[in-house]
Amino acid sequence: MVAARSPSWRTWPARVVDVWRSSLTFRTVALTVVLSGVAVSVIGTSIVAVIGANLYDQRRGQVEAESQRATLLAQNIFDSATATEGSDQAELEALQNEAQGAVLGSTTSPGGTSIAILRTPGQQTAQTIQNVASAGFPDRAVTEQMREAVAASQGTLSLQPVSLATASGDEPGLVVGSTLQVPTAGQYELYLVYDLSDAEQTLAFVQQTLWVGSLALVVLIGAVTYVVVRLVVGPVRVAAETSQKIAAGHLEERIPEGGRDVVATLGRSFNEMADGMQRQITQLAELSRVQQRFVSDVSHELRTPLTTIRLASDVLYDRRGEFDAATGRTTELLHAQVERFELLLGDLLEISRFDAGAVELEVEPVAVVHLASGVVDELAPLAAGAGSTVTVVAPGGWSDAEVDPRRLRRILRNLLGNAIEHGEGRPIVVEVDSDADALAVAVRDHGVGLAPEALERVFDRFWRADPSRRRTIGGTGLGLSISQEDAALHGGRIEVWSRPGRGTRFVVTLPRVAGGAASSAPLPVEPDDARDDGVVPPLGEWGAVPPSVEGRTP
Amino acid sequence: MTPRILVVDDDPALAEMIGIVLRGDGFEPSFCGDGSEALEAFRAVGPDLVLLDLMLPGLDGIEVCRLLRAESGVPVIMLTAKGDTADVVRGLESGADDYVVKPFDPKELVARVRTRLRPAPEPTAEVLTVGDVRIDVAAHEVRRGDAVVPLTPLEFQLLHALAAKPQQVFSREMLLEQVWGYHYKADTRLVNVHVQRLRAKIEHDPDHPRVVTTVRGVGYRAGQGG
Repeated sequence: MVAARSPSWRTWPARVVDVWRSSLTFRTVALTVVLSGVAVSVIGTSIVAVIGANLYDQRRGQVEAESQRATLLAQNIFDSATATEGSDQAELEALQNEAQGAVLGSTTSPGGTSIAILRTPGQQTAQTIQNVASAGFPDRAVTEQMREAVAASQGTLSLQPVSLATASGDEPGLVVGSTLQVPTAGQYELYLVYDLSDAEQTLAFVQQTLWVGSLALVVLIGAVTYVVVRLVVGPVRVAAETSQKIAAGHLEERIPEGGRDVVATLGRSFNEMADGMQRQITQLAELSRVQQRFVSDVSHELRTPLTTIRLASDVLYDRRGEFDAATGRTTELLHAQVERFELLLGDLLEISRFDAGAVELEVEPVAVVHLASGVVDELAPLAAGAGSTVTVVAPGGWSDAEVDPRRLRRILRNLLGNAIEHGEGRPIVVEVDSDADALAVAVRDHGVGLAPEALERVFDRFWRADPSRRRTIGGTGLGLSISQEDAALHGGRIEVWSRPGRGTRFVVTLPRVAGGAASSAPLPVEPDDARDDGVVPPLGEWGAVPPSVEGRTP
Repeated sequence: MTPRILVVDDDPALAEMIGIVLRGDGFEPSFCGDGSEALEAFRAVGPDLVLLDLMLPGLDGIEVCRLLRAESGVPVIMLTAKGDTADVVRGLESGADDYVVKPFDPKELVARVRTRLRPAPEPTAEVLTVGDVRIDVAAHEVRRGDAVVPLTPLEFQLLHALAAKPQQVFSREMLLEQVWGYHYKADTRLVNVHVQRLRAKIEHDPDHPRVVTTVRGVGYRAGQGG
């Protein structure tokens, strides 16, 4: 959850996104509400449109019928009057009033009706009657165009929707125009204005009801979704929390079981799985403990007699000059083989410690350049004996990094020892560099190199590049395996590049900080001269071994 | 005079073999095969140095070392069968000066023994002062104020090495070479543990040392520097 310390408007979008990501319930309910809201809106809008259209059509039909009737009524009044009497002005006006009254009386529309009788312009007749209009007749509703249309209509009705300005704002209305033929006075136009606000009100009421209903529906859907999601997600959440606890090491944690539905089955299977895992882990832990104790016991039990043998052989070896030739040589062989046995035992114990997981990193701040130089100095006599010069090139690695110096020293001693042994007396270069995340040491010889198939097996236990080669250092065949384990323990890796006749380059890359990741590569596996020479097979078929030696994360 | 060495080890063959090696190099060994008798043997023999196996019947080597330290500063070299680092650190913390991992080379053993028996190099100044600690080099005596601080010969050598050159920062490797006689093998825990032990004796507050101070990333120096 995002801290609620600063509930500013700036943070709430981030908080919503956070809740969206973290809460399945929130996501499901929000999606359901939005989607059902959209659906309900679409349906509601179309219902309102249909009802509105129907209401209008109905009112329009009613208005049309009424107007027809009113026109007929008025026309009859004028016609019947003139058939019986002569016409004079006063009588005409009385007729007009009568017609107006009759028209008003004939309309039954709710909301009131206004009436106007207007003379069609451009006539020359014997008599004229005044234009009349009922009180509040909206003159603006009758436009010039309508008047022209009505004048030319010859007995049919002309309808036009208008907007009526009333005290409560604009209301929808309908103007109906028709013609009246007044004897001796010519053609007049009868205009009836109907107020449709009642229909509008009905529509508004329907709309309002619909919206309220829709809103209630959406809220209800949201609530139902919430309940359903809680029902389904609840057990899943319990399972998730339980598995987290188990992953954190609380192996005895279980999901409460109950019922026979699919959720209960999930819980039961989960618990069975957890039981199985707990058994396995306990067993493995026990096995590892046994192994560790065994290693420690063997270590002690073997080392004590070996120490005695070693001391005895050394004492004899120092006096070999006093012995006859055969005994002297026997002493030499004894001495050499005891030494070899000791190395082998040491490496075997180290490997089994790795296998048992009984190893611990002891990091301290180390300037890797100094450490590497120390190893180079240490092995200088050996290198000199083989005729190789060892150069240290260190663009980086001067500042302290958190590594286990004992293990790094062992790795470097091993790599450098190999380089001296297989370097054919040619120069050896040790490179040290680092970047923000990782440090790397590369050891390059220009000796025999390795064939591609040999390159793949170089880290295998007890594997030797060439069993027939004379060994000057007397390695055990476990050195590179141990180095690889040492690097992996740091969270680092060892990679190798080699070409027959061109030499070999090992690069060890370790994270600068204990527990960090050595994702970058301060030094590439391929040396700069990797492509200098066309004799070697094309790159890609084989070259640098891909990072098959990736460090496991501790 | 022949230096006397007490070998405390429960393996008779190994003890005898160590005896042969030591005798061959002009030492006079005596033996003890049980941890619970070690202290008695020590008092009886009065050795110049003790070779102490860590795994002993009766009393654990670490416990023996603690008891020895309680009554004497005589050099103690542990013989450890394990490369197990926790054991080494526990041994050093209980007061051992140095350690040798089995199986060892006779020359290595003799070299370790000789280094510990070798007297400290000739003093450059008779009395050195670091903070409120006075080091009387000739008398092999260290005082804080008026109180004499009992230091083992190794602790004295360590303090003397630092105090003799107060302007210099000593790396752990330099100290290993100067005090322990190591040239390449650099188990810096030897230095770390013994600096802690030294501080516990001479500092007012070992967590905020003023006499032997740490120079981060480099090593140690005497005094506050500046």
